[in-house]
Amino acid sequence: MRAESTANGAVTPAHAELRREPDRTVLALSGALVLETVAAARREVEVLLRTTPAATLMVDASGVDRGDMSGMSLLYELAQGRLTRGKRADLTGLKPELQTLLAELPSPEAIASLETPRGRRSMWEQVGAETLAVLRDLRDQLAFVGGSVQGFAAALRRPRILRWPEVAVILEKAGVNAVPIVSLISLLTGVIIAYQVAQPLAMFGAKSFTADIIGIVMIREFSPIFTAIVLAGRSGSAFAAEIGTMKVNEELDALTTMGIQPMRFLVMQRILAGTLLMPVLTAFSMLSGVFGGVIVMRGMGFPLAQIWSHLANSVRDSDVIVGTLKATVFGAIVSGVGCLRGMQTKEGPSAVGDSATRAVVAGILMIIVVDAVFAVVTNVLHV
Amino acid sequence: MNPTPAAIEVRGVVVGYGERVVQQNLNFQVRRGEVFVVLGGSGSGKSSVLKAMIGLNEPLAGEILIDGEDLAQADGEDRLRLLRKFGVMYQSGALFGSMTVLENVRMPLDEFSDLEDDAKDLVALGKLNQVSLLSAAAQVPSELSGGMKKRAAIARALALDPGILFLDEPSAGLDPITSAGLDQTIRRLSQSFGITFVVVTHELASIFAIADRCIMLDSRRKTIVAEGSPTDLRDHAEDPYVRQFFQRQAEPPAVRRDGSDVA
Repeated sequence: MRAESTANGAVTPAHAELRREPDRTVLALSGALVLETVAAARREVEVLLRTTPAATLMVDASGVDRGDMSGMSLLYELAQGRLTRGKRADLTGLKPELQTLLAELPSPEAIASLETPRGRRSMWEQVGAETLAVLRDLRDQLAFVGGSVQGFAAALRRPRILRWPEVAVILEKAGVNAVPIVSLISLLTGVIIAYQVAQPLAMFGAKSFTADIIGIVMIREFSPIFTAIVLAGRSGSAFAAEIGTMKVNEELDALTTMGIQPMRFLVMQRILAGTLLMPVLTAFSMLSGVFGGVIVMRGMGFPLAQIWSHLANSVRDSDVIVGTLKATVFGAIVSGVGCLRGMQTKEGPSAVGDSATRAVVAGILMIIVVDAVFAVVTNVLHV
Repeated sequence: MNPTPAAIEVRGVVVGYGERVVQQNLNFQVRRGEVFVVLGGSGSGKSSVLKAMIGLNEPLAGEILIDGEDLAQADGEDRLRLLRKFGVMYQSGALFGSMTVLENVRMPLDEFSDLEDDAKDLVALGKLNQVSLLSAAAQVPSELSGGMKKRAAIARALALDPGILFLDEPSAGLDPITSAGLDQTIRRLSQSFGITFVVVTHELASIFAIADRCIMLDSRRKTIVAEGSPTDLRDHAEDPYVRQFFQRQAEPPAVRRDGSDVA
């Protein structure tokens, strides 16, 4: 950087020279002591002082014709003895305008009095704080669930309090617009599973049972889960970001002071829409997943009638009901978590992004946990 | 005596967006060491002119010379060198929220100088001292008041010791006392350290406190309607719009559509 500046003729490099006088050593500095030159000048000075240690040092700055605050930092360090193991140097000859600049650098005492960064907390304090944070989050979640149940109870009595036009908008954005991606993912999943399953089944001569496996796996498990994951990624994060941005802009505060609960105004439409659209999206997913498997089996030479009879025999009504029920619950969870994380948004530039991330992560985690609960319960109930 | 060479020279500049011209036929010079104020009502294009001067928006026509060089024509290393000749304080401060005040001010030094860490800290603290904000060094921007944010932003703009400082609406959103304190800081930086200021504002009190010279932009005529010292403009302006601005009068009822802007 220094070379570049000199090449432009804008800055003459600083120069340092050490001369011995009978009772002291004089360090003479000259040239421009500015941002571009000071680092090199400092290295030069350090070398000089190392090779010729001085008992009393005097810095003669009369040759310094230009300077800025970065440049003055070198004179400050010399004067405070930072480069001479504590032995302070006397400074002479500095131009008055540069003296004003040098005087702006705070004294070591002033700097020392600043050193009060928040002390590091002890381990116990941190454990306590984290525990409290987890408990507080748990309480928030409970309050949120309670609030939404209350809201829906009120909406059942007076459906007008829900803003239906917004429900329609969310249904379109989170539902209709997600049909292509959900269908594509499910179709390909069906194809992949069919190929993977057909090979081991062929060893038992049971290749035609591929249809049974596709039917059960897609309808009961994969369709609800994949659709919910797509919803969490596309819409749960969007809910968190939308509500989070509103919180950062104090729009939630504005609603509260107008006597409008953000819960009713923003959250319930989203949860309702998410809950309504999931079974429909999942139906698309089930159909295209099974269709993917059928394509593969047709490719292997099975007639449609045989595939159909396998599907009809293996997939029971209860599978479809359980799959759809799961989808509905997942929809409520994903949209609820998205809204909750949005409402919990803190301040700062990364807050909205953090909320969106938390919405997706917590959403997916909850889906898997609840799916496990479903697996246990349906097993016990033999459905 | 030779006139001081211009720090900034604006020649025949037209600013606007696409087809829409905001201001045209702009010709003025900012002299080295002065506090130069660009004033005008809301929507008169003050900020657009500022954005053109600092190279964020290219002017539709004309040239803007900083120390005799055109920022719009420079690229690569030349542009970087030219950018380092000035600092900018944005209206909201634009401090980085994840860093402390000291780290904010140190950041340009970290990027553009090879000073030792200690020395960088020292220079950053010196900058904070210059704007009387030393005690807030360890705080983060969200803990600062509006006036402190602006001071911190000025300190960051000063980090690399530029000769020119652009301030966008320094007194916007500040109470009169804080605003007057900021004006004092601007005057002090100008007088003690010879920094050239280009300040965009519409605060009358501020204009009288800091400005050596000002130009006034009008949104209807889309150009400069007055140039001179603030007292000159107040006492001797012929132009009715300028008089109205300085006497803080609303639009006459017939054309009052944007009266609030003028007040």
